[in-house]
Amino acid sequence: MNIVVRIKNQEEIKHLADLGADVFLLDTDVITTKAIYPLEQNSMSHVIEKIKKINKKVYIFINKMIHETDLQILNNWLFFLKTQDVDGLVINDFTVYVMARDNDLSDKIIYQPGTMNTNAYDVIYLKDKIKGMTLSKEITLDEMKAMMDSSSDIEYSLLGHGYIDMFYSKRKLIKLYSQHKDLENFQTHGKEFTIEEKTREGIFYPILEDNHGTHIFRDKKLESFNEVKHLPFHDLFLERLFMDDQEYFDAIRTYHGQLSPKDFLDQYGQEYHKGFFYTRTEKTKGEKNEN
Amino acid sequence: MKTELLAPAGNLIKAKIALLYGADAVYIGGKKFSLRARASNFKLSMIQDLVDYAHQMQKKVYVTMNMVFHDEDTEGLEDYLLDLEKIGVDAIICSSMVVLEKAKALTNLELHLSTQFSLTNTYLANYFYDEGVKRVVLSREASLEEIKMIQSKSKADLEVFIHGGMCVSYSGRCTLSNYTVLRDANRGGCAHTCRWLYNLYKDETLISEDFDFQMSSKDLEAISYIRDLLDLGISSLKIEGRMKSIHYIATVVGAYRMLIDDYHAGCLRPIEAYQKEIKKAENRLTSKGFFEGDIGVEEQLYNARSEVPTKEFVGMVKSYDKKTKTLYIQQRNYFEPGDALEIFMPNQQFVQIKPKKIYDEENVALDAARHPLQTIKVYCPIDIEAQSLVRKII
Repeated sequence: MNIVVRIKNQEEIKHLADLGADVFLLDTDVITTKAIYPLEQNSMSHVIEKIKKINKKVYIFINKMIHETDLQILNNWLFFLKTQDVDGLVINDFTVYVMARDNDLSDKIIYQPGTMNTNAYDVIYLKDKIKGMTLSKEITLDEMKAMMDSSSDIEYSLLGHGYIDMFYSKRKLIKLYSQHKDLENFQTHGKEFTIEEKTREGIFYPILEDNHGTHIFRDKKLESFNEVKHLPFHDLFLERLFMDDQEYFDAIRTYHGQLSPKDFLDQYGQEYHKGFFYTRTEKTKGEKNEN
Repeated sequence: MKTELLAPAGNLIKAKIALLYGADAVYIGGKKFSLRARASNFKLSMIQDLVDYAHQMQKKVYVTMNMVFHDEDTEGLEDYLLDLEKIGVDAIICSSMVVLEKAKALTNLELHLSTQFSLTNTYLANYFYDEGVKRVVLSREASLEEIKMIQSKSKADLEVFIHGGMCVSYSGRCTLSNYTVLRDANRGGCAHTCRWLYNLYKDETLISEDFDFQMSSKDLEAISYIRDLLDLGISSLKIEGRMKSIHYIATVVGAYRMLIDDYHAGCLRPIEAYQKEIKKAENRLTSKGFFEGDIGVEEQLYNARSEVPTKEFVGMVKSYDKKTKTLYIQQRNYFEPGDALEIFMPNQQFVQIKPKKIYDEENVALDAARHPLQTIKVYCPIDIEAQSLVRKII
């Protein structure tokens, strides 16, 4: 299983590789949202070269929703990426697959829409089209297993660690609020914002705004130390947003086997949970979870 | 091709009212595979009734199957698709590949791609057209300029939302409800967590005041853009709201019908005339959504205010006796003798009356119409169509 990591700067690449990272997920400067280290094309070439020199893989994160006005930009990027030694394109909007197919890049595509890969038929539909699919974040481990049992002709991946996003809006919600409240010179782009719901006091959900909109994340971080041992994932994505560097490094070491899950959780465990691995959600507005 | 006006319907009566008041087509949900769990109460027999009714009027019925399917949800899917084809529904609206592929393999049903897929460009529209999808429902995040560009190059027909509620998130991509209350937003259980009240913090400093950080959107109202959309030749203009009332559906459908008919007749009235009509039933603040591009403060709902409709729905006309000039009204809300009433007919005509006396079916004079579904008789000198709406002028 490849451990897929995100970088904050070029200088830490070697260090992350030494900790156990197999794949580096790089952000573009224009078609990546939630970017940590956005790169324009020249810089990206340089970083790719650096990663390849230490025999590690490179994925590119193209997770913006693609509007009509983004098509030319996307095409330009795919044209560029075709000339680069990249191993995967991690996409959110299916448009990227369609354009990648027309650029002979479909065998690099890893479809990661967050919510849409939820049943075995999705596997059948995608398996002959693309390289891989990231299973949806709101399904159970049993549902994942059933999907993975349905075919071995596609690479499965899991967004398995860190603060998992649960909302992507085109609206710049912090900026709009600051305008509504006439907050002058209020910087709305940054990783230091949280929201707290009125009836859930003391629970803070990270909220992040960038040029492409707003994202909201779970209040607790996901960990899947045990779960990934039992299912044949090809790639495990470790989300880095809002996490201290040392904690991120220790997570990589733990998945790589250099640190025990117990030691990791003893140190950081209070802020972690198991997401929907063992928790089913209801389909309808029933009695059980009526708010 | 003439642009279609497409209306929502949560039950058979609402569907018939929508068609009667000017919708060219209605979309409904079955009991199993639709997103609006509470609004989806159409059994197969009811769908058959509705399809027969609509087809007699040369109108159409679409069935939504737009939940994001988990494996457990596919049980009964094939039989259901075959049943829908047998009934003769005009299309299904879906977003999961399992539905698209099975419908193609088993039936000749027309396929529409749901807004749950958040489609915002030509490239994807043409991909799905090549995959057998006749129509795509555009994401509500698409601007008018983007709609123009997509329309000029899309092989698929386009359906555009023009009125009703808006997800704040890109549709189909939100799990706020899943995480906060364990109800699956993409399978019909959305708890509208995005509409709750929040505090905003920067680092640990409270920025908001008393949970006034809100993400809610005003409802969409695209009256000002209908002319552009008609000029473009968009295939379908869609009204949202399968949970909405009969009065709301009839009023909103009626207003857009008037506008579209006026456009084709070359006699458009000032935009305010259509907006005034909608306000008779609208109970949420509205805005232009993404039609102008990025959202501004005016499109957001910060203080949870509701608009008060300017007319109150008090009854529905059952019949009219020309000989005695008596109007038979089925009561829906309280009204009294002397109240000014506006009668809104399916043919978009309005009549105002102020009955001095009202009677029950036994001809007993009443001091008020108090009981829901009671038949009330009033004198009316003008012939009124059955199923006209009776509103109290507030």
